[in-house]
Amino acid sequence: MTFIVPIGPQHPALKEPAFFRFEVKGEEIADVDIRFGYVHRGIEEALQRRDYKHDVYLIERICGICNVVHTTTYCQAIEQLAGVEPPERAKYIRVIILELERIHSHLLWLGIAAHQIGFNTLFMLAWRDRERVMDLREIISGNRVTSATNTIGGVRRDVKPEHVPTILRGLDELEHSTKYYIDLFNSDRTILARCTNVGILTKDDARKFCAVGPLARASGVDTDIRRDHPYAIYDKLSFNVITEREGDVWAKSMVRLREILEAIHIVRQAVKEMPIGPIRIKVNLEIPRNEAIERTEAPRGELFYYALSNGTDSPERVHVRTPTCANFASIKRMFLGGTVAEIPIVIWSIDPCFACNDRVALVDSHTGKTFNLSLKELRKWRH
Amino acid sequence: MEVLSFILGSLVFPGLLFASLIGLLYIGIDRKVTGHMQNRIGPPIWQEFLDVGKLLSKEDITPGAAQSPIFTAAPLVALGAAVTVMLLIPVSSPQPTLTMVADLIVIIYLLNIPAICMMLGGYSSGSPFGATGAGRHVAQLFGYEFVFIIAILVAVVRVGSLGLPTIVNYQAQQGWLILDWRLLPAAIAALVAIQGKLLRVPFDIPEAESEIVHGSLTEYSGPKLAIWRLAYDVETIVVAGLFAALFLGGPTAYVIGGVQIPSIVDFLIKTLAIVLLTTTLRNIMARLRIDQALKFYWTSATLLAIISLVLVLVVP
Repeated sequence: MTFIVPIGPQHPALKEPAFFRFEVKGEEIADVDIRFGYVHRGIEEALQRRDYKHDVYLIERICGICNVVHTTTYCQAIEQLAGVEPPERAKYIRVIILELERIHSHLLWLGIAAHQIGFNTLFMLAWRDRERVMDLREIISGNRVTSATNTIGGVRRDVKPEHVPTILRGLDELEHSTKYYIDLFNSDRTILARCTNVGILTKDDARKFCAVGPLARASGVDTDIRRDHPYAIYDKLSFNVITEREGDVWAKSMVRLREILEAIHIVRQAVKEMPIGPIRIKVNLEIPRNEAIERTEAPRGELFYYALSNGTDSPERVHVRTPTCANFASIKRMFLGGTVAEIPIVIWSIDPCFACNDRVALVDSHTGKTFNLSLKELRKWRH
Repeated sequence: MEVLSFILGSLVFPGLLFASLIGLLYIGIDRKVTGHMQNRIGPPIWQEFLDVGKLLSKEDITPGAAQSPIFTAAPLVALGAAVTVMLLIPVSSPQPTLTMVADLIVIIYLLNIPAICMMLGGYSSGSPFGATGAGRHVAQLFGYEFVFIIAILVAVVRVGSLGLPTIVNYQAQQGWLILDWRLLPAAIAALVAIQGKLLRVPFDIPEAESEIVHGSLTEYSGPKLAIWRLAYDVETIVVAGLFAALFLGGPTAYVIGGVQIPSIVDFLIKTLAIVLLTTTLRNIMARLRIDQALKFYWTSATLLAIISLVLVLVVP
């Protein structure tokens, strides 16, 4: 006999609303049905009604955790549309903030992952270390989370030379604790019991379902936009792309933890090699008709932007595809055959961000059925 | 006169009032120590009093699907059982308030009642989380209970009596049972079983909050939840008191520097030490899955207890 375990829309395992309907045989998962759309905010439509400068602030609020990578991608796309190149120093500052954001995002992930397997001490310790990254970000940008650093044509705030020693000291502390966490994930028996051979995504499946980011790398797919399609100044910095072979939750944790070390390495290089010069150029934002795509490596994977200009000071169309959207195809395969106890950690192992990912879903509230609209009907609805 | 002293015993000392106060205080200390272990400040140690007080003053809601006498009675019966055990374990002297011939058997039975009530509450709550939590609790009960009983049996065989006062008196003359190398494995096994009995990490599987919300207690709120919390807190001190009586010599009076230390102080120190030990264990581990927990109980923990039993039977 199967019965339904509803996970969501509100559930302690989920940090944002989404609905997972699990069919469970005892403790074993027989089937899963996923429904999104609870936090759709209509940002793409709103972007078209504002000008390029205002859009930066709106873009920053697509995702709270990875706001810098969103604005960087957007600004790079618009710079590409306008045919301008930001100054060298601005690119370095972007990379510093981007990598600090990666550290912050991965530590946040680590904390909640520890909470999902009931290890609350590790949760608190990881978030204590996350505070250090936030302090560093505050030194550089003036804000702990939403950094408001990027603008079209460069960055708004400079990294001051007197802050460099503080940043380097903070990175040393972070490196020390990250190495401890890696050690912990390699040796703690309860963590190993909960994370190994759980939520496995094989290399073939990762390719087939087009997984991106740490999820793909944990399954052995060697992909990283920073190396494959370098933006900003990633081509001038040396770093390794971390991969693991196992594809289970442990491998996903390990990829993220080792990426923190790589990110620390990148920030150190960038701080050292940063050239002196202007941080921003003026851009004429009445951009003639043009289109651009831009890809970056967000903490969760490939972030994709498409921008289309029409000669006015606001975009004709900006399209966003977040990494979570790409990774949801893989999640069903990771659940089947598992147990109820694995649900939270497996959901969290793709590092989902529902609000960034949500698309409109049209649901008949009486029958619960979803339905599609034709383009004609959609046009009618819009006007 | 005997009736009056029984009523006083069950309601004031060492019954409901005393057990509740100490239980709430100990869980408060537990939360504070947990906070410090996790590198945060933690709540004040009287936080548990405030929490339970607030819950008691809230509206009493029973969900529509859970309208049954079982759902309402479960927390009360659980609290009653936990308080009754308090009368059977030695608190202020080697002699408990109530004595009977084979009180250990009664204690083992009574200590299972809160767990069984929790399962009944979960099954009758009409929530899939409650049902899953109760199912896991049944499975886990069969894991830890066997270990717990064997470990108690080792002490019983060593002393040759099923009466808790006899065991405590024996230890007063012969030294603590935990210091006997033949009984050490049993004491460790009993501690592991206690960790499962009190639903603490790594054995908090029946109420794993990130998986099944709060397990059996998901649908409980307000005063009923407050009584559940109280029952849990009393159960904590009762289990710690039982362990202290079995392996740590029970409450003993000391004279230090000419000052008479009453045995109640000894009881409080020993139980607090046991509670803090379980607190430490729960803060250094991740939660296991139910199959892993059962495997652990039926192999390692049972093996420890049985080795100890064989040693006690064979080695004179």
